[in-house]
Amino acid sequence: MHAVVMESFEEYLSGTLKPEALRDIEAHLSSCEACREEVAGMQEVSALFREFTPQEAIEPTPGFYNRVVRQVGGRKAAPAFASLFSLDLAFGRRVVFASLLVLAALGGYLVSRESEFPGGPSPELVMAQQDSPSFEAAPAHEAMLATMTTYEP
Amino acid sequence: MGSLSGVLPLPFGSKVAQKTRVDYQNTTEGALVQRAQAGDEAAFREIVDRYQNKVFSIIHGIVRQRNDVEDIAQQVFAKVYLSLKSFDFRSSLITWIYKITVNECFDYLRKRKVRKLVYESDMSEDEVRRVENSEPSVARQAPMDDTLARRDYVVKLLTRVSEEERTLLMMKEVEGFSVEELAEKTGMNENTIKVKLFRARQKLVKAAQRLDRTPGLVTG
Repeated sequence: MHAVVMESFEEYLSGTLKPEALRDIEAHLSSCEACREEVAGMQEVSALFREFTPQEAIEPTPGFYNRVVRQVGGRKAAPAFASLFSLDLAFGRRVVFASLLVLAALGGYLVSRESEFPGGPSPELVMAQQDSPSFEAAPAHEAMLATMTTYEP
Repeated sequence: MGSLSGVLPLPFGSKVAQKTRVDYQNTTEGALVQRAQAGDEAAFREIVDRYQNKVFSIIHGIVRQRNDVEDIAQQVFAKVYLSLKSFDFRSSLITWIYKITVNECFDYLRKRKVRKLVYESDMSEDEVRRVENSEPSVARQAPMDDTLARRDYVVKLLTRVSEEERTLLMMKEVEGFSVEELAEKTGMNENTIKVKLFRARQKLVKAAQRLDRTPGLVTG
């Protein structure tokens, strides 16, 4: 849609446009088919809203306010699951801060416990040693050699 | 929406005089709302008394089911009561209540449609045929059915725009507020209102074109 139409489109639709502005728009629409089509589409849609114009006045029946209060009471009595999380902002901040402190303390404790176990052989190495056929025999074999070399009849 | 020029290269507003925003907190109505926010039941009652006729009228205009108007109005005021503390005075109270009312009506229409679909899905084909024959179908519309079909069509179109766009369109088209009045009531500036309305109208035209291309959707 071209600027000349777009600028005052709402006033044009509601028929409250000043005569000179209206002349400008109509002159443009008579020569611009694209704008003419778009405006026609919007006017058609705008007319549909007449469906929502109230036809008659309906007034609340006596006791309406009391029924609203009862409904409010009912909703308050059965809080939604989501409302469990709607904490007061200040309280929420305190909970978050406390949780962070607990996490930091727990993390520190775990790190200190970890350093009490200095790194030994890796699990793969231990397993390889256990699988080796000479793993248990080696010390006895070496002990026998040592005994034989030091043997003096 | 931040800057309008960044959003749309529209020539809106070069001639529009920008007005000072209304400070809704420092009005008599603002004082009433603040009392209600502090838990003053009498203040809330005054709000209900002040706006109940308007709310009834909006609801009846949209749903046209006389029997359901009061139920929906009760829901509206219960919501107003329960969320009044979050009302931040950026718009007038009636604009805020208007938005809640329109949303509640569309929610009601959506639920009614779902209920109808569930009810129909529980019926056998013969039962559906019998009901269809007992109710005048849209294909041979009496004048009242024609109105209902048009209403369904508009409702369907309006579900294709955002809640904010829907409220603005309803306030402009049904309540007849000017752009200037809308700006005053919503706390937005006139250019923003114009851009939002224009975009909403474009969406409605596109939605209407899509629905018209799918005839079953228009009446269903």
